[in-house]
Amino acid sequence: MRSLARVWDALTSLKLTLVCLALLMVLVVACTLAQVEMGTFAAVHAYIRGLLVWRQVPGTALRIPIFPGGGLVGLLLLLNLVAAQAKRLELSWRKSGLWVVHAGLILLFVGEFVTSGFQVETQLSIEEGQTVDFVESPRQMELALTEVTDPVYGDEYGIPDSLLASSTRIDVKGTPVSLRVTKVSGDNETNVRAVYVEPIVNGRSYGTRLVSNALEAPESFAHEGRTWTLSMRPRREYLPYSLTLKKFQHDRYSGTDIPKNFSSLVQLKNPARGEERDALIYMNQPLRYEGKAFYQASFGKNDTMSVLQVVENPGWLLPYISCVLVGAGLLVHFMFALFRSLKRAVAVRAGALVTP
Amino acid sequence: MNIPRSIPRLAAAVALAGVGAALLPPGKVRGLDLDGFARIPVLEGGRVKPIDSLARNSLLMIRGQQSFQHLGRTVGADEWLLDVMFRPDVAEEQQVFVINDPEVLGLMGLQQASSRYFAVKTLAPHFDEIQRQASAAKQIDSKQRTRFQAAIVNLFERLYLYYRLQATVQLPGTPGLAAELASISTPEATRRHEALVHLAAFRPLPPLAREAPEAWRSVGEALREGRAGAVAPGLEPLARLASAYDANELDAFNTAVADFNAIAASRLPEASRRASLERLFNRVQPFYAGMVVYVVALLVLFVGWLWKRSILQPAAFGLLVAGCAIHTAGLVARIFLQGRPPVTNLYSSAVFVGWTAVILGIVLERIYRKGFGTAVAAASGFASLIVAHHLMGDGDTMEMMRAVLDSNFWLATHVVTITVGYGGTFLAGALAIAYAARVHFSRDPNPATTRSLVSMTYGVICFSLFFSFVGTVLGGIWADQSWGRFWGWDPKENGALLIVLWNAMILHARWGGYVREKGIMAMAIFGNVVTSLSWFGVNMLGVGLHSYGFMDGAFRALGGFIGSQLLLVALCLVPRRFSGWSLRSRRAELHG
Repeated sequence: MRSLARVWDALTSLKLTLVCLALLMVLVVACTLAQVEMGTFAAVHAYIRGLLVWRQVPGTALRIPIFPGGGLVGLLLLLNLVAAQAKRLELSWRKSGLWVVHAGLILLFVGEFVTSGFQVETQLSIEEGQTVDFVESPRQMELALTEVTDPVYGDEYGIPDSLLASSTRIDVKGTPVSLRVTKVSGDNETNVRAVYVEPIVNGRSYGTRLVSNALEAPESFAHEGRTWTLSMRPRREYLPYSLTLKKFQHDRYSGTDIPKNFSSLVQLKNPARGEERDALIYMNQPLRYEGKAFYQASFGKNDTMSVLQVVENPGWLLPYISCVLVGAGLLVHFMFALFRSLKRAVAVRAGALVTP
Repeated sequence: MNIPRSIPRLAAAVALAGVGAALLPPGKVRGLDLDGFARIPVLEGGRVKPIDSLARNSLLMIRGQQSFQHLGRTVGADEWLLDVMFRPDVAEEQQVFVINDPEVLGLMGLQQASSRYFAVKTLAPHFDEIQRQASAAKQIDSKQRTRFQAAIVNLFERLYLYYRLQATVQLPGTPGLAAELASISTPEATRRHEALVHLAAFRPLPPLAREAPEAWRSVGEALREGRAGAVAPGLEPLARLASAYDANELDAFNTAVADFNAIAASRLPEASRRASLERLFNRVQPFYAGMVVYVVALLVLFVGWLWKRSILQPAAFGLLVAGCAIHTAGLVARIFLQGRPPVTNLYSSAVFVGWTAVILGIVLERIYRKGFGTAVAAASGFASLIVAHHLMGDGDTMEMMRAVLDSNFWLATHVVTITVGYGGTFLAGALAIAYAARVHFSRDPNPATTRSLVSMTYGVICFSLFFSFVGTVLGGIWADQSWGRFWGWDPKENGALLIVLWNAMILHARWGGYVREKGIMAMAIFGNVVTSLSWFGVNMLGVGLHSYGFMDGAFRALGGFIGSQLLLVALCLVPRRFSGWSLRSRRAELHG
């Protein structure tokens, strides 16, 4: 019982807060410096997202934890915040500001955990006049099996690269096709993926093919009047609605190459809801629709292609609420403090005037 | 009239009158209406500005200064630009190119001598070699270049800018714009017109009636169009201006300037009024004037602590308020000229950080009236304006905002709040330095005064935590709005977060009773290190070990600043008996 009380004491102590804040500062500095060499994504993964920071022992394959990671420190800080709130902070008007501040901070932490756990980032590249109803993953690839027997309408089946790496024979559901995977290779830097795959239909092999996104043309094979193609492409997620790019605009300041504005005018069509409307996506003005937000991210092909960043984050609203709470709470708390200290200063001055 | 009460007002009035004298219209230089020329609006870098701004920024880039001495006379930026464009022979004699790198000098067979400035004439025989070396160095990524490579590329770019300025109105070595207009439709003119289009450093000819307000033309473009039809109305007075300057015909030059200005004024009255105002702003240099007033305030205060405190301390406060008024006027003028919130780049952030610290200091002085508010505010205002002054060499400080940053709402909320947070954290650091100095060197360590310094610092830290937190989170919200990522852990965001964490640590350490007076003050001084790193340090990230380029000087300055702050932290922490003052006073106690 006593040890439990000690754990509780430690968990609620201000010392723990200070230690966690200091550790967080170290991690943030380390993560910032590491970005020069590793790039942002890898550095955040190494220092911030994990429970521990690992380092490889030189000359061996052994990896040992050398420092608590951002996940662990954040979790401790969150527990500390909640516990200290429950134990120490008195419920009084004087402390009301701090209550609100800490509630806001808890929300901010929860928001960051939700983001690291659930945020999905994809992309949508679209040319003027084109209609697109899928988004693509920037990192994961898939092997796509497409039936092209009918030139207008085709069935598509995507096999994620994680499945390719772990299995040797894949029966593609909904088709008579099985795929025998012999070798997978890839390079994460350049995002090039290649696979040797042997399509088999009803026991008949169509030879081993090399499929890669570095190769232009897809591989195709025909069986009893049905034709399929195999290609490697960024992993797709199909949407129940579609976007058509009506116009992409890229303005520059007169006489310079300094970009002044990018915008994409898209038509959003959702047959299930009978929706059909235009939306203008530009800097700082995303289109939010069905849990996804579409941002103007990039462009190409002589300003006729627009690239939208698509983000799905169920926790996106939390920081907004948190900002309001913490800001208001700090304001209330410091106002109380300011009034007290002003009163004191005035009293001191009055005292100084009275005493000769 | 109550004399002591009016001291601050008198001091402020004297300072304001001194700076206000610069508002009076300037006289003619060599009988030329240079002020009229300076007000000519031109389009450059995507915005309309007076030719004065262009001249100053170009000279700043080439020489690092806005004027120079030539033949025993000060030559201003506008006169220099006129010489470059219309009297190239004279301009080539002027020593305007600053070259510091010994290897670059060695390349040209020059020795490092007392003067670091060289005339174009001196450099001319080496143009081919400079170009050859620079194009070789340009193949290398700018972050990987050696000191020599960075310096040679820099010199080449400055020479190219000079060459383009020279070839904006008329090509050097040709008879001039008037002759160009006379022979506009001859076949060989075409090649010269295209060269002028290609080289133009700015566009001096305002849009014609019924054209869009951005449709300014370069001289080459106007000549090209003039071959087929009507000649743009500005070309004729511009040609007169050019030949009158070359021939030193004063009246003709002044008339041509007035005629040329009248065209822009009738076509774009608002833009040309703005250009005139910007010229006035350039001439008055409010941030430079403010810097001088702050220094004077600081000196008056220091003298006051030794002698006639009752007069000099209020006078110093009056000077501080005057400095702040000038500083504020400069900020307001920039906001109006640019049509943007006060902070748009590193330069303006330095100006604004200082302004925040000064305002806070004035408030503290009004509350506590100990003189420390004045001291710390004047010192911070001066220091930040010095930093801003050194950040000016990169070119136009009112450059256009890139699309990603083009949001007045977020510039006004996130950027301003976070910069106020920087200002507050620096002010807390400055107060803590004052505390450390007082503890060690003051002759009357009155504990009540020390206590009020501590509570000032505490209050300012609370203020900074509020602004840096809100500013940081607003930055996250901006990121969420613009690319869907509330927090990306990128260096700039991390820097802001570090300030928040550090301020939070100071406050929690105080509330927990883990640090006392001295500890809080030492932590507040260290806050200067954290803030300077997140403000400037992140801009130097990615500058690898191989880089000795432009940021070299800034890197050393930042290193020096951090070193000095660490020494001050140490000074704050050592016991009082280590310093000489207190030893002497203790001895006095013993013997007394």
